[in-house]
Amino acid sequence: MSYASPGNADALTPELATQWNQTIAESYEGLAEFHSRFFAFDPSAISNGVQAAVSWFGDPAEPAFCIDEDIARKLSDWGVKGRHNLHNEYCEYRVVERKDGTGKTRPKRVQITTELREYWVCIAMHDPTFLRSMCQSILGSSPTWESLYGVSDPSTLSPRDRQLRFSRLIAGHGNDKELEQSGVPAQPEGALNRDNVLFMTHPINGLDDLLYIVMFGAKPYARIVDGSRRPATKEQIFRAFGVEHLACRHADPTAATAAHQQAYEGRTVAFADPLGVYINNFSSSVFRYQGGPIPASWIQLSRGRQRLEFGPSDAESAFLDDITVVEGANEQTLTGGFEVAKRVEVGPLLRIGPQGPVQEHEYVDLSQDTRPIKCAEARICQQIKRLKDEYEQSHTFARTSPRMMELRG
Amino acid sequence: MSGSMQEGIFFQEGARPGKFFLITFLATEPGVDAAQVKRCLGSLWRTLSDLRTGLVEDLPGYPVPAGDLKVTIGYGPLAFKLSGTSAIPSELGPSNRFLSPRTSGGGPLLNGGGLFYEDGLIKNTATEAIAVQFIAETQLAVLRAFVETWKALIDYPGKSGAPATLYVAGHFQGFQRDDHRSWIDFHDGLSNLRSGPERENAITIKEDAYRGGTYLCFLRLLVDLPRWRTLSRNEQELVVGRDKLTGCSLTDVDASGTASREAGCPFAGSSTVVDSGNDGFLEPPLVGHPVLRQSHIQRANLQHSQNTSDPQSLRIFRQGYEFLEPSVGTPPFRLGLNFVSFQDTPRRVIRLLTRDGWLGNTNFGGAPIGEHAAMELLKVNAGGIYLVPPVVPGEGFPGEAIFQ
Repeated sequence: MSYASPGNADALTPELATQWNQTIAESYEGLAEFHSRFFAFDPSAISNGVQAAVSWFGDPAEPAFCIDEDIARKLSDWGVKGRHNLHNEYCEYRVVERKDGTGKTRPKRVQITTELREYWVCIAMHDPTFLRSMCQSILGSSPTWESLYGVSDPSTLSPRDRQLRFSRLIAGHGNDKELEQSGVPAQPEGALNRDNVLFMTHPINGLDDLLYIVMFGAKPYARIVDGSRRPATKEQIFRAFGVEHLACRHADPTAATAAHQQAYEGRTVAFADPLGVYINNFSSSVFRYQGGPIPASWIQLSRGRQRLEFGPSDAESAFLDDITVVEGANEQTLTGGFEVAKRVEVGPLLRIGPQGPVQEHEYVDLSQDTRPIKCAEARICQQIKRLKDEYEQSHTFARTSPRMMELRG
Repeated sequence: MSGSMQEGIFFQEGARPGKFFLITFLATEPGVDAAQVKRCLGSLWRTLSDLRTGLVEDLPGYPVPAGDLKVTIGYGPLAFKLSGTSAIPSELGPSNRFLSPRTSGGGPLLNGGGLFYEDGLIKNTATEAIAVQFIAETQLAVLRAFVETWKALIDYPGKSGAPATLYVAGHFQGFQRDDHRSWIDFHDGLSNLRSGPERENAITIKEDAYRGGTYLCFLRLLVDLPRWRTLSRNEQELVVGRDKLTGCSLTDVDASGTASREAGCPFAGSSTVVDSGNDGFLEPPLVGHPVLRQSHIQRANLQHSQNTSDPQSLRIFRQGYEFLEPSVGTPPFRLGLNFVSFQDTPRRVIRLLTRDGWLGNTNFGGAPIGEHAAMELLKVNAGGIYLVPPVVPGEGFPGEAIFQ
């Protein structure tokens, strides 16, 4: 069994396919403590299975549960700062801006990606030419070697050097300890991926995290109620393993509880081929343009549903803020990517085996508290409150000269 | 204002809702303020509290069977428009409300949704300031509670010397079925949240000023039974996602369009999924076939999420009651469902009804609106969303502090 490129977006050479599968295998082996019969590394090992998407909404959950949705929108839409700090639900976006006829800069389109960093780094290590063709398919033009690797000829570099250089400029360290120790920053220093969202760079949006959370969940966790066994709750599972901070996000609890539910029913799960994170749903009908539906051409899905470009093309006079979003009885102007990400559901495809018996000894009985986890008290909230303060400072009216005020930021 | 959940919301393990239901909507007379409503509701609440123990105001000393009456009170956006009330909770803001019917009648309940008001409907009764839900074991108990409510509101001005404050703007009745089915003959409510923590975590307001309370969503849904009956059994099953007779979930569809059932369902020796031993078959499995992905039971919980405390799981706790009422024409009756759900934020319902893949752009299930196979089974007769504040010790009635 060999995993194809995520989304079947690229026709990998046999060498690259081998390297990509090696990358996945290493991530899997690194999670040995979570191996169990309820998770199969090889989806073809599951016979009579079905393929199903596990999805969550793409908007950043943390600022919303820490503060509120209005602040979440502002912070998440705060350019690359918002992306690097908050876009950690396996869905990163940027807003493309253009000048309108009056010379005013306005939002034009939202670009969303769910592509895995590890896949791109793997290609960057082993085939720079292939990498550049991938970039070209997204950007429409071929980037320079300098912008990708910081040198004019990456073919002379070792795979390790390419990994270091590409990570520094384009991919960030992705919580890879060796890269961190080599001085690679968490987020890329170069402009190419910051300006174009080629693929995800938030360290939490990684392949190993994706494998971890599904494998972590794929156990028949149970609780005893009045002498009979029932499925454990999400709160119990995350409490039992001291990872309550993950339970408030969209991605982790959704993926973990989906796997848990299957395991509790005696099913085995695996990532379906190709392994990736996909845009499984997009509720575009809540967006309106001039009182009617938005033109179909304003929704461009590509890279095997790993990339969404939403909004008018450069050839059209319309802008993103000409679109309204209708929620309930409220209609408001679309100003950024947060409101789009809120309508996007992302996640992996799983292959799920048939129901079977769970042996008594396989149940993991939990007795933890079932009460809701107090998300607003999560440690991450301190960090987000600091980000909010920073945002407010940079967006306050500042005195620039006597009797003159201007908006900063 | 944190406290405990009001009665009439049966989320606890082992709790069973009463057999009969009535919800009434109370409107405010023009010009009344918060203080007047507070006094009037205080008086009404005392009447209803007496009724819970069988005491009827006009029958002093002669108690009647109470029927295990449960009373739940909720407040809609209009309640917070009265002079002197607390600020409206953000969760009752415009983005968490249904659209009004068109002035010409009918129209969509939500943009991006597949539910529409019934043709000609211009007034949505379920948007009045206050909703009071009665649930009891006997029909008489809920009907009596409604009539006693009317009497209390009519009598109130005379007693207090004040002008009329609240009046009954409308009401709807319903009953529970003992066959776990709905009017379309299929099993219903099987994949509702499990009682206990799953429900509690989905419905309890956690962070807001009304911590411990919940939000009620009410939809009076009319079912077009003649249209439903034009579908073959197989077609009906593909729309619902279950076997019509046994309630077993469908898992796949072959090239001829015939659906297969979940293996081993129902459990040997039983005949339907509601029989003992079939708990494992109540929740539908994840399916891959696109037709089944569009079925009602799959759309209603698209992600099969047990992560119920997260509003984005879009899980809600349903506590609906069927209805049948006389009508003119063919058939000579109207029937449907009083859809009642509880959730920690109305956003869950709004999004559930408008997100693609979920119940967005579909009326009930099956193909999206606009596609050839789409079918309109339901129409909305009334719909509203209400804050159900917690019971707070010291308050004369739940939500009294709103009117301070």
